[in-house]
Amino acid sequence: MTNTIDAKLLAKMFLAGAKNLESKKEWINDLNVFPVPDGDTGTNMTLTIMAAAKDVSGMDNPDMAFLCKAISSGSLRGARGNSGVILSQLFRGFTKSIREKDALTVPDLADAMEKAVETAYKAVMKPKEGTILTVAKGASVRARELAEEGCEDLSFFLDEVIKYADEVLEQTPEMLPVLKQAGVVDSGGQGLMQVLKGAYDCFLGKEIDLSLPEVTHVKPAMNIDAQADADIKFGYCTEFIILLSKTFNIKHEIDFKEYLESIGDSIVVVADDDVVKVHVHTNDPGLAIQRALKYGALSNMKIDNMRLEHQEKLFKMEEAAKEESAAAQDTQMPHKDTGFIAVSVGEGLSEIFKGLGVDYIIEGGQTMNPSTEDMLNAIDKVNADTVYILPNNKNIILAANQAQTLVEDKKVVVIPTKTVPQGITAVINYVPDLSAEENAETMSEEIKNVKTGQVTYAVRDTMIDDKEIKEGDYMGIGDAGILSVGKDVSEVAYEMVADMMDDSLELISIYYGEDVSEEDAEALKDRIEGAYPSCDVELQFGGQPIYYYIISAE
Amino acid sequence: MASVAIVTDSNSGITQMQANELGIHVIPMPFMIDEKNYFEDISLTQKEFYERLEAGADVITSQPSPEQVMDMWDRLLDEYDEIVHIPMSSGLSGSCQSAMMLSGDYDNKVQVVNNQRISVTQRQSALDAKMLAERGKSAAEIKRILEEDKFNSSIYIMLDTLYYLKKGGRITPAAAAIGTLLKLKPVLQIQGDKLDAFSKARTTAQGKNTMISAIRNDMESRFGGADKDNIWLQIAYTKDLEAAEQFKEELLKEFPGFDVHMDPLSLSVACHIGPGALAVACCKKMHI
Repeated sequence: MTNTIDAKLLAKMFLAGAKNLESKKEWINDLNVFPVPDGDTGTNMTLTIMAAAKDVSGMDNPDMAFLCKAISSGSLRGARGNSGVILSQLFRGFTKSIREKDALTVPDLADAMEKAVETAYKAVMKPKEGTILTVAKGASVRARELAEEGCEDLSFFLDEVIKYADEVLEQTPEMLPVLKQAGVVDSGGQGLMQVLKGAYDCFLGKEIDLSLPEVTHVKPAMNIDAQADADIKFGYCTEFIILLSKTFNIKHEIDFKEYLESIGDSIVVVADDDVVKVHVHTNDPGLAIQRALKYGALSNMKIDNMRLEHQEKLFKMEEAAKEESAAAQDTQMPHKDTGFIAVSVGEGLSEIFKGLGVDYIIEGGQTMNPSTEDMLNAIDKVNADTVYILPNNKNIILAANQAQTLVEDKKVVVIPTKTVPQGITAVINYVPDLSAEENAETMSEEIKNVKTGQVTYAVRDTMIDDKEIKEGDYMGIGDAGILSVGKDVSEVAYEMVADMMDDSLELISIYYGEDVSEEDAEALKDRIEGAYPSCDVELQFGGQPIYYYIISAE
Repeated sequence: MASVAIVTDSNSGITQMQANELGIHVIPMPFMIDEKNYFEDISLTQKEFYERLEAGADVITSQPSPEQVMDMWDRLLDEYDEIVHIPMSSGLSGSCQSAMMLSGDYDNKVQVVNNQRISVTQRQSALDAKMLAERGKSAAEIKRILEEDKFNSSIYIMLDTLYYLKKGGRITPAAAAIGTLLKLKPVLQIQGDKLDAFSKARTTAQGKNTMISAIRNDMESRFGGADKDNIWLQIAYTKDLEAAEQFKEELLKEFPGFDVHMDPLSLSVACHIGPGALAVACCKKMHI
């Protein structure tokens, strides 16, 4: 009978949980209520936990404080999507509670789970039941009961907690009608269960592969594969600890990591109060060391040659390209009072945002939710005292809010835009003469007057909003649900607009995607114009993937 | 007591007919349309003007000729001892500069007021000047009072289109700030001598909201609160009277009990911003 979990075991359990989630990713994606072709809950949670797993797997002999720091800050910055942000907050609360312990007992775990739930609930403005939050709460309630009953056997404890949380998960359709209609349990809750189950299997000593699971769908620039790669691209495994003599805040950490990414891969940077642990594979360890010396003295240095002989040439070109792009990104933007960051995808939409004065576009949206770290990088690049972020997707707002709380040297204002047209309206209504608070208020007020409808296709059969949807059907999705379904994309778009219209609206804007021809878009515009003579109708090339039309009425 | 005549130009929105009733003298602004000369409200009506403008005619504004101005002054000085001359804002036209130069030959009998007003706010200045003259103030005193008061006004104008702004090329800073693929309604502001971009809107409703909150903000931060006893509220428009009437109703809901004066926007501004523009202005009431 094992009664405690030490840091080493916890690290293994964490990695096993991450790995298990990763392997169930697609399955969790399929639990998505809307049958839209996105990367979703499974992908987002996996990318979030993998950001932390990357840091954790780089540690040889972790102590509890270091491990907690790695899990917490890794997942916090890697967080994307609402479920990812909530997961990162669960980790943050959990690790906060245990970081000063050497080994965890049942009462410690019960405390930590309560802290986790409390932290995650706080991170969400309007917590909804029937979600990952409810499942986490279920687990923590059972944990507390067991602790109070005097349970000491961790194996029994974990088994019971997981069983109970599973029951709560099964109940989620009863709490959220939208789940019930789609016939699924909550995907975020299921994701959390997979983490817990993976960790439990590891605890039981089942065979666990500790190598870092392969992460798919990561943006190329961030795709850092571990040693698993057959070809060794960077020859020297370089490790050291910086004994900090200068400040090393989140901004320094990002700068430093970026620099390491420009000279190598497999990067781990874990900062604690006065030391930073660094691990990087690079062809020039000297550069890493020189840069690190800026922050303090070095200790525990270890450099290994990982390849005897290898085809370095193969990668030279790629490396050059990488350096070039890193250099290009480093060019300082001129300083200004106010900057704008918008999340958008599609060259037409990006052009529109830039034309309206947006300084930096984070590529992403429905198909790829940017992480908190992507936001932090963007905020870092925009050289302005006040930075407004337009997430333009309801699943990105939380990650933006999380980034906001991590930035200290700039004022960051998140305007909770849920769609691209809301983002466009927000930036248009910005008034340079007003304060950030007044602008935030005006913009947040004006975006409420914008209705958005988006046309895409269904990836599977489902039943939602009392509409039967077959795989491959086109769907018009409004702000509050599915407005139209059919086999003809223009017809679906037209019906969707009909559903959106009311007398107060003056302007209909149509942004057509990369898979729509200009002629078809023009024809749709003419038809809508004919039907609503009192409205102005404007057609723009959006160039967005997956969404044939994004249409707004205001 | 010296008798003081009040002169302004047709940018004030005061028509020749109103001028007679008010006892104010209005110099009509000259226009060149397709190389032919016209005078606002004399040989050119608002209706004709917009017809020509929308038909794409080449409309050029200019300041009143020295001859026009001096003829008016000479004629008035036969009857009055002094003149207060209130031209359109020196930030928008050279009229003020020219008038000041011309007044140099009149032994301080003509006082040119540089208080940077235009349209409805310029009109209010002319009315204030008239009232001050009736209370026995001298031309020099009236000039001083009006100039002290010059920052106590604010105008916001929402344009229906960027077309005329771009075409005219005269208001480049405002036009340059708004380079975009989208159809937008720019909102401009006039504070003191500057006509500048303020904000922009996608729809008329948005633009009106922006102007209303801006004017409320000015009242509260600059004019001592949204108090109807203390502030004149004004509306100006180009061409579309119906839209202006509707805006007036909306404005009165926001600012109940206020006196709202409404005028067509003077043509020398209208030719740069085109038809369909709406403006809201406010200025501090003068308590004498």
